Amino acid sequence: MIELNRNYNLGQTDREPVKIKIVGIGGAGSNALDRIVLDGIESAEIVAINTDVQSLTSSVATQKVQLGRSATRGLGAGGDPEVGLAAAEEAVDEIRQVLEGAEMVFICVGLGGGTGSGSAPMIANIAKEHGALTIVIATMPFAFEGRRRGQQADDALAALQEAADAVICFENDKMGDAVAPHAGVHQAFAAADQTISQSVRAIFDLFTRQGIISIGFDDLVTALRNNNARCLFGYGEADGDNRSHESLERALKNPLMNRGRMLAETHNLLVNVVGGTSMTLNEVQILMEELGRHVSDSTRILFGTAVDPRLAGRMCVTLVSSVAADDAATGKEPVKLNYIAPPRTHTELKAQPAPVEKTSKPKRKVEAGDQKPLLASQDEEEKPAAEVELPVVRPKPAPIKPLGVKPPAPEPPAPAAPPVAKVPQERQESLAFEPLNRGRFEKSEPTIVNGQDLDVPTFMRRNIKIK
Amino acid sequence: MGRDNIIVGLEIGTSKICVVVGESKPDGSVKILGVGQAPSRGVRKGEIVDFDTAGKCVREAIADAEEKSDVMIESVYVGITGSHISSFNNRGVVQLPEDQDEIGEEDCENVRTNAKEVSIPSQNFFLHTILQHYYVDGQDGVLNPVGMMGGKLEADFHVIHGIGNRVKNAIRCIREIPLEVEDVVFNPLAAAQVVLTANQKNQGALMIDIGGGTTDFILYVDGAVKQSGVLAVGGDHITNDISMGLRIPMAKAEKLKVEEGSVILGNCLPGETVSLKDESGFAGKEIERETLNTIIHMRMRESLELLKRELDREAFIDFIGAGIFITGGCSLLKGIDHLAGEIFGMPVHVAHAQSMSGLTSAVENPQLATAIGLIKYAQAVETDRPAGWFGKFKRKLPMFFGGQR
Repeated sequence: MIELNRNYNLGQTDREPVKIKIVGIGGAGSNALDRIVLDGIESAEIVAINTDVQSLTSSVATQKVQLGRSATRGLGAGGDPEVGLAAAEEAVDEIRQVLEGAEMVFICVGLGGGTGSGSAPMIANIAKEHGALTIVIATMPFAFEGRRRGQQADDALAALQEAADAVICFENDKMGDAVAPHAGVHQAFAAADQTISQSVRAIFDLFTRQGIISIGFDDLVTALRNNNARCLFGYGEADGDNRSHESLERALKNPLMNRGRMLAETHNLLVNVVGGTSMTLNEVQILMEELGRHVSDSTRILFGTAVDPRLAGRMCVTLVSSVAADDAATGKEPVKLNYIAPPRTHTELKAQPAPVEKTSKPKRKVEAGDQKPLLASQDEEEKPAAEVELPVVRPKPAPIKPLGVKPPAPEPPAPAAPPVAKVPQERQESLAFEPLNRGRFEKSEPTIVNGQDLDVPTFMRRNIKIK
Repeated sequence: MGRDNIIVGLEIGTSKICVVVGESKPDGSVKILGVGQAPSRGVRKGEIVDFDTAGKCVREAIADAEEKSDVMIESVYVGITGSHISSFNNRGVVQLPEDQDEIGEEDCENVRTNAKEVSIPSQNFFLHTILQHYYVDGQDGVLNPVGMMGGKLEADFHVIHGIGNRVKNAIRCIREIPLEVEDVVFNPLAAAQVVLTANQKNQGALMIDIGGGTTDFILYVDGAVKQSGVLAVGGDHITNDISMGLRIPMAKAEKLKVEEGSVILGNCLPGETVSLKDESGFAGKEIERETLNTIIHMRMRESLELLKRELDREAFIDFIGAGIFITGGCSLLKGIDHLAGEIFGMPVHVAHAQSMSGLTSAVENPQLATAIGLIKYAQAVETDRPAGWFGKFKRKLPMFFGGQR
């Protein structure tokens, strides 16, 4: 068994941190921000943007921008996106200023209302102008809020998909199922905010942690790319002897994951495994093998792994994928494959745990044969090691890599840009929220056939509405 | 009455434990003397998960059967199932020595041993090796090669294997009662003995036993077993689906399924409801009939489709002449024959044990098909008659009898 020792990790400290801003727009956005701050997120600036002064003052964000000082005079946008847009136009310089220098922008927004729906597409555009990678996490309104609001949300979502690099969309209607029927309204909303917070953090960590096998933005876009897609997201953390199994179990239990049953239908699955220094290759292999049982043979697995000493004995698994909502996706398949041809070479290299060995071997050679003295001082050794490692793993650096360095910053969007053009047509629909209850079979051995857990009622797995 | 003729079949099912006491008549028929039943606990998907509780339930069922049949039960034939059981077809080959040209008994045994020489997972053991056909020097369709002249004996077998420890657990549980275990038999193999007639087996038939925890199937073509297996989904799953879908307790869901459930959709009036009475007899919850049926329909359709996919892996299902026979507790669901007929595209019959005498009410209950089948199976094994495909199929269980205590 090869112990992944801490030396792999050391390149991290030498890298300039990526400048990340998390922006919450409107009321729903600032609620999500509060949750993200409460959960704790490092090295990211939190920006609240709102028309409503009261909500803005109570926000925990470090930077705040008030929209429409004269258009709305500190009140909300009154559910009218036009007012929201006008208010945003008024504050366009302030927005530019606050987003200045960001290399990656997360935009959290609740769609359907005035401020969010009206200003979010514009703010996403501004973020893109600054050359930042822009990821939008949007929530859709409840059906009972009326068709009008639903329509506004759909329009805004379409606009956001044009503007942003990636859009992850949560449907409030489905959130209701994620909590117990008797849970209070605040609990339901808290659960929603928490899920948003979790996904921001997971994606954030994906890029900021220096991996042994890194996951780039291109991988994320590949995983999320699907025709008329439904986004799957799972995150699990566990410690103890059985942590690899438990962390995966938890990731699959995530409400957005449908207990892994939808995984069988995905074409691309992004898996990131992060552990403390004690994480062993064997554990990663066990985890990947177990995950392999949930996916079909043709699924392309985009695998990444990293060691983070802060995690101590814990192990975290992040799963991101999307599933076509209809079979129409197959028609588009060849186009997609051609399309992602450049990143593919390196994603394939990463496809299985095996490359961990591949990368480590050349690295050892360098250590042992080339520069013996380096072994003496650990600090010096790591740096070259990390650098040697990179060219081996991938013929071409992932787009996200140069982000740490300022000068080539405008360049990375270039490789990332084609995916962007593609994203808008492939609508990200929603993250399915479902109770993953197996009832009386909760404790018995699951019956998994073709990636489906047969103990979960059929009507639930097929999303058939039961009154 | 002579002890020798008494045969007891025990099926530890997911929903209930059935003990059937039968008397083997010299003419080959079986008379049912009594049936003992007890609700089953500690069993999930056909396998024992709680040893003590399941043991108690078995004891209860045995006591019930002893009382009803007025027979002291000492040994039983046990039916087993579970998702761990799988099967395949394999051919054994034996080349006769130069100086011998007549096929003997031992050659038949050798060819069987040869057929078992395939790799199965290390923890598995062979439950059944069922003869399909012999070939003598390539000559097809030989039923009994003993005494024939030939140089090469081949035979096709259907091999059923399962995880040894799981089977041992069931045996252990029964031994603690204490009762002697004569043999373990794969459930559908037992049930098919009474559900299907010899004629139907020759024509080709598929028997599906939809029980509480599992759906077992066995497929016969030309009188030989060609395919068999288990899908670990059964009536329990339907009950669980109803309970979760309508948010009612399991016991009520079970009652609703049995009394009101149907797999046919679009057959009830719009807005037609079933009222669920609470303990005091007052009308409790109103449940729309269509909703209930949708839940049942979705599950049954899925299970049958999965079964069809499994069967479609080999081409045998195209050679079924007699049709499909559904038995087990879930065969009592209204309209299941129509649904299965639609999915498989061939005639479907709901069947129960046949050709028995004695307690006819017991015989006609499809829930008892396996337990009764065990008796029939045991009778065929014990009488050791040369006729029939399992004529020489007397098997001891050295693995279980030796070394355990």
